Amino acid sequence: MAPLLQVERSTKRFGGLVANRDVSLAIEPGEIVGLIGPNGAGKTTLFNCISGALHPDEGRIVLDGTDITNARPERVCRLGIARTWQVVRSFGRMTVLENVICGALRRTGRVAAARARALELLHFTGLAGKEDVAAAALTLADKKRLEITRALATSPRLLLLDEAMSGLTPFETTAAVELVRRIHSELRLSICVVEHVMEVVMPLSHRVVVLDHGEKLTEGPPAEVARDERVITAYLGDRYRGRV
Amino acid sequence: MAASSAPSRGSGASPVAWVAGALVTLLYPLPFEWSGQAYYETVGFLVLLNAMLGIGWNIIGGWAGQFDFGPSIFFAIGAYTAALLNIHWGWNAWLALLGAMVVSAIICAAITYPVTRLRGHYFAIATVAMWMIAQPIGATWSLINGSQGLFIPVAAGGGFVHGLLTMEFPGRDKGLGFYYLSLVLFVITLLAARAIERSKWGFYFRAVRDDQDGAEAIGIDSRLYKVIARCLMASVFAAGGTVYGFWALAVFPDQVLEVNWNILPMMAAVVGGLGRLWGPVLGAVVLIPISQIMTTTLGTGPLAGRGIDLIIYGAIIMVIAGWRPNGLLSLPWSEWAARLRGRAPAAGKA
Amino acid sequence: MTLFLQAVADGLQMGLLYALVAVGLAIIWGLMEMINFAHGEFMMLGMFGAWGLSVWLGWDPLVTMLPLAVVMYGAGVLVYRGLMQKVQRGEVFTQIFATVGLFFFIQNGVVALFTSDYRFIEGSLLTRLSGVNLTVAGVRIGIPLLVGGLIALALFLILYLLIDRTDFGLALQATSEDRDAAMLVGIRPQRMYAVAWGLGTALVAIAGVILANFFSVYPQAGLSFTVLAYAIVALGGFGSILGTLMAALLVGVVQSVTAAYLPPAFKDAFVFASYILIGLFRPQGLFGRF
Repeated sequence: MAPLLQVERSTKRFGGLVANRDVSLAIEPGEIVGLIGPNGAGKTTLFNCISGALHPDEGRIVLDGTDITNARPERVCRLGIARTWQVVRSFGRMTVLENVICGALRRTGRVAAARARALELLHFTGLAGKEDVAAAALTLADKKRLEITRALATSPRLLLLDEAMSGLTPFETTAAVELVRRIHSELRLSICVVEHVMEVVMPLSHRVVVLDHGEKLTEGPPAEVARDERVITAYLGDRYRGRV
Repeated sequence: MAASSAPSRGSGASPVAWVAGALVTLLYPLPFEWSGQAYYETVGFLVLLNAMLGIGWNIIGGWAGQFDFGPSIFFAIGAYTAALLNIHWGWNAWLALLGAMVVSAIICAAITYPVTRLRGHYFAIATVAMWMIAQPIGATWSLINGSQGLFIPVAAGGGFVHGLLTMEFPGRDKGLGFYYLSLVLFVITLLAARAIERSKWGFYFRAVRDDQDGAEAIGIDSRLYKVIARCLMASVFAAGGTVYGFWALAVFPDQVLEVNWNILPMMAAVVGGLGRLWGPVLGAVVLIPISQIMTTTLGTGPLAGRGIDLIIYGAIIMVIAGWRPNGLLSLPWSEWAARLRGRAPAAGKA
Repeated sequence: MTLFLQAVADGLQMGLLYALVAVGLAIIWGLMEMINFAHGEFMMLGMFGAWGLSVWLGWDPLVTMLPLAVVMYGAGVLVYRGLMQKVQRGEVFTQIFATVGLFFFIQNGVVALFTSDYRFIEGSLLTRLSGVNLTVAGVRIGIPLLVGGLIALALFLILYLLIDRTDFGLALQATSEDRDAAMLVGIRPQRMYAVAWGLGTALVAIAGVILANFFSVYPQAGLSFTVLAYAIVALGGFGSILGTLMAALLVGVVQSVTAAYLPPAFKDAFVFASYILIGLFRPQGLFGRF
């Protein structure tokens, strides 16, 4: 089966800094792929290149046969990729319901239909009852939930979650993981998760890709990657090589 | 600014207040017509005109959140287009108004799309730059007679109803006629704005305002919607310019490009309550009389024509910006009303 | 060809004065990302101050330049502490709106006091030198404008040294890079901002004093300089001082060359159009980096 998303040797530079160098990665339909690596490895830059917020200097990005390397973000969304952000974003001055309606309007164009879909999704993600709360007034966990709901409303085929668990309490984290599992099983999306919390990303992912200093270090099933010496060195430094 | 900009639901005013307001608005000019004081009818006309322009400005400034300091160029384009259509091709004023709106929207789309890359301050300065470029064009372009202006001929002997249909009032009823003309346009604009607010466009404008990058990530073409918002504003301003042209019976570049047409609608929207449907109306009702009072009090004395009203406007803007950025509609009216009602019985007892 | 060279020479000298007008904006912008619609009004106040003092006390603008600068510095600090400090943490929209109000207030305040009539400075040193020219390679360089330009250049260099070589300038740069980090090392951002406003206002007022020798003095003079200053800051890469100088020279030349070949009403139009084009194709300005 052809991969849903194919990143071919993507390179992105910021002045003298090479944030991504020759990164290649494929996401199959229905997969959950974890993207891990130490801080500054280039994970968010890669997400930004995939979603169109940035464009790679070299390389190609192809979604289901369509070249999206230089596509604008709104076109990438229309083609089926939705994302959340490392620092949570919402339309602060609109209500929770209005935020999701904005996402749903991508698919229906009529406010009444969009409202119905938005209510359904809010129920699915557990925000039912908070429809009329101003987005800026939500707790962090609920803001993240809202961001995900809004992204789902655009009916994506691939969902990119950028550190969706950061800043959450253990209780909230468990609930969030549950939500991601349900999204995957009930809505049948491919998901790519950037995460620092190993206890979250390892059990959740079918496959894990490791970035370090802008390059892909390795990829494979979570258990293998966790035992890979190079990965351990990247996270813990040279002193721990061979010791773990 | 506003904590939640849900579409207006009548802001909790009672039906009695609505009916009273509508009656006052409908009957306002009649006492002045009988007493022959056309001046007050004109004030009413200007209030309605600026309220309508304010609602138009609210679309780009309040909903889409883009500060436009040069909307008067569309006021001018509207006035000139309608005047030319009427003078050279004999178009009826209302048809000319529609033509003016279309031309204005097209020009707006053409000149705005390139600058939609700019955000915040940069966009604001670009709109000022456009206005400053328009001024020498207006003063020297031979098609519109440059600074000599265009004159709109009025056929003699039309009645009041004929006047409403052609915007031509040769007789004494001009003040009354233009009051009701502007009222009709104001109501149409208000209803159209309300419909837009609740439509997909309304949602998309506010999304672009609140978080442009986030909006793009959920599929909203921010550049397109900034253009749409500005074109809607341009159409409203063109309609306003048309009415103004027929009222003034002449279109001069320095009059239709005057800074007042940039500032008053914007002020009305912000002072009243930015992004709120009725904000510009409240703002216009409060601000226009200030200018008129200044004109009458200062009369022809030493301070007349010295922009005292603009000094006051400037002070009001600074005070609102510093202390009440959400505008007058955000004041706790219902609280105050409740306190007044709560106190009344106690005072009655004493 | 001589016409062109003449226009370039005139443009370069005007460009130096424009640099002085724009640099205050560049500092405020670079530090606080704040826009000031009333920037040109402070220049206009400088012009009126120079004219007024020359008419009532007979003092030459070159002499009154310094005291006026001090007064305008105070005015800038006052505006910051009285108004801008309040809107700084709010929305961009409100910030723009606040300075628009200031613009109307100042401009019409002057209209109320002095009417919109055009005024002229007479008998100052620079106006008396107005027939005196240097001729270099067939190009006539007027001494008054040259002196004005050189004063502007000198001030510009002093400013550059201040920002680049002194502790104070370092503190200013630190605050603009990372306000919180600056606080951690004991810099008070509010103080930096107030000083920036004071400096910006004083510099543009000095430019006004100099310009009053060559241009008519009237209340509406400010706005086109504000837009011009913004075009320059945008071209120069927003916040870069040397970039501002180079952009200002370029703008001066463009404006001068345009005026030589097109009707005078259009001389600014070309500059404003460039602002729009730059925003389109090179938003980081001609000399900036992204």
